Amino acid sequence: MNEDEFRRLCEFIYRRTGMVFTEAKRYYVERRMADRMLATGSTSFASYFARLRSDVRGEVEQFINAFTVNETYFYREDHQLQCLSADLLPRRILRPRANKTIRIWSVPCSTGEEPYSIAIWLLENWPQADAYEIEILGSDIDTRVLDAARAGLFGRRALMRLSADLIAKYFEQTDAEHWRLIDDLRQSISFSPVNLVEAAETRAHGAFDVIFCRNVLIYFDDASRRTAAENLYENLLPGGFICLGHSESMSRISPLFDVCRYSDAIVYQRPMERADG
Amino acid sequence: MPLVRKSTAAVDAPPADVEELKTALASSRPDERWQAARALIDMPGGIALLGAGLATEADIRVREVIFSGIARTATPEGAALLLQLLRSEDASLRSGALDALAAMPADMLAGRLPELLYDEDPDVRLLACELARGMPSEDATQLMADLLERESEPNVCAATMDVLAEIGGPQALPVLQRSAERFASSPFLAFAIEIAVKRIKTTLDSGR
Ligand SMILES: C[S@@+](CC[C@H](N)C(=O)[O-])C[C@H]1O[C@@H](n2cnc3c(N)ncnc32)[C@H](O)[C@@H]1O
Repeated sequence: MNEDEFRRLCEFIYRRTGMVFTEAKRYYVERRMADRMLATGSTSFASYFARLRSDVRGEVEQFINAFTVNETYFYREDHQLQCLSADLLPRRILRPRANKTIRIWSVPCSTGEEPYSIAIWLLENWPQADAYEIEILGSDIDTRVLDAARAGLFGRRALMRLSADLIAKYFEQTDAEHWRLIDDLRQSISFSPVNLVEAAETRAHGAFDVIFCRNVLIYFDDASRRTAAENLYENLLPGGFICLGHSESMSRISPLFDVCRYSDAIVYQRPMERADG
Repeated sequence: MPLVRKSTAAVDAPPADVEELKTALASSRPDERWQAARALIDMPGGIALLGAGLATEADIRVREVIFSGIARTATPEGAALLLQLLRSEDASLRSGALDALAAMPADMLAGRLPELLYDEDPDVRLLACELARGMPSEDATQLMADLLERESEPNVCAATMDVLAEIGGPQALPVLQRSAERFASSPFLAFAIEIAVKRIKTTLDSGR
């Protein structure tokens, strides 16, 4: 791939996903590009790129799937889960609510470890859970990982931070290396495709009490981070919270949110509805 | 199990009609103005409406979404609006405009910069120095050196030296040396010149 081809490809990925790939990631980009060319039987950059641009047989989706980084595991940064049950949800239920449904969005959810972790954590650690209907939704731009999330089959690495008790309670071992999440849990969480930088797609998911948006903004540049932040702002109920990954900070992205420092985590809040003055 | 699945109601999208958005932009609810401003950026005629709205907009979130939207879309019309705002009486509008301009592609501003650096208002010249920081080193060096040669306002001189210290090339050295004589009586400027000269020489040496 020459300079110009590399640049055009990166530009295409950026426009479609917000993800930025620089010269430093050239090997990563070339590897994935080679895979897609092989899979589609393309013999040159030009013929593959033409196919991509006219989206022959849904190639754009396959292409994006190939470029995402899907690393995730159960109970990742569980201090934020602690914060969810100790601080965020108690604050969300302080005010009288129009209904008993609490909505939580894991976006991006990758292969499902994050939304399932939220579910397990709340069942285990939030005594009030039974008094509410808790709706947890997982979404991602990568349609492959969403299929995996729905299937709910996990390897050893994904479970490394869960205790043996939790594994015994919520999983069934299928072979020496794999565990399947119990049906009850799998069926209680929905998964859907979403592109964080497309407002029409994020809006379709409705308004949430809490959003987990972890470990994706690191792949974006400032402009796409800001677009994602603005989109998610619209998906929060007034007073709703957003949790980012540990190396991500909203303060550097957008002044839209208020910073809340709780004992277990720093999170960001959409201010209550304000009127002028 | 308290976990449920439901079909959800989408968040309201902003109106798709410019007239309705214009009304929403005058709403007493900041969230409504915020959403309208966000939507207007991509609409024909939107930037002009937003520019007019900025003058009376008191909410920093609404202001921010306008500035970041103008920076993101990076149109000549947006750039012209921001350049105009560099003359605003309102300091927060000036700095918002400056940040948004700095976030635009450098080549959008390159053509406008010389004229700003010749502006009769020293505050505008000062802000223009900040914008020069984002230019390629060679262009910025030339612009800053030219300005320094004719500038009498100490604040603006200090700004040019600061930019030169950060990204200046060796072509600036003769001008800096001449101004060292000119500002010999101002310890502050003399010091700033010394730093700029030192930095440029160090960069030069390490580049060899
Ligand atoms: C490293 S995973 C993060 C998973 C989980 N949140 C965690 O912290 O473990 C990053 C995910 O971001 C998704 N992604 C990348 N760009 C996206 C976009 N524009 N919209 C939605 N998801 C995106 C990728 O598909 C990938 O699954």
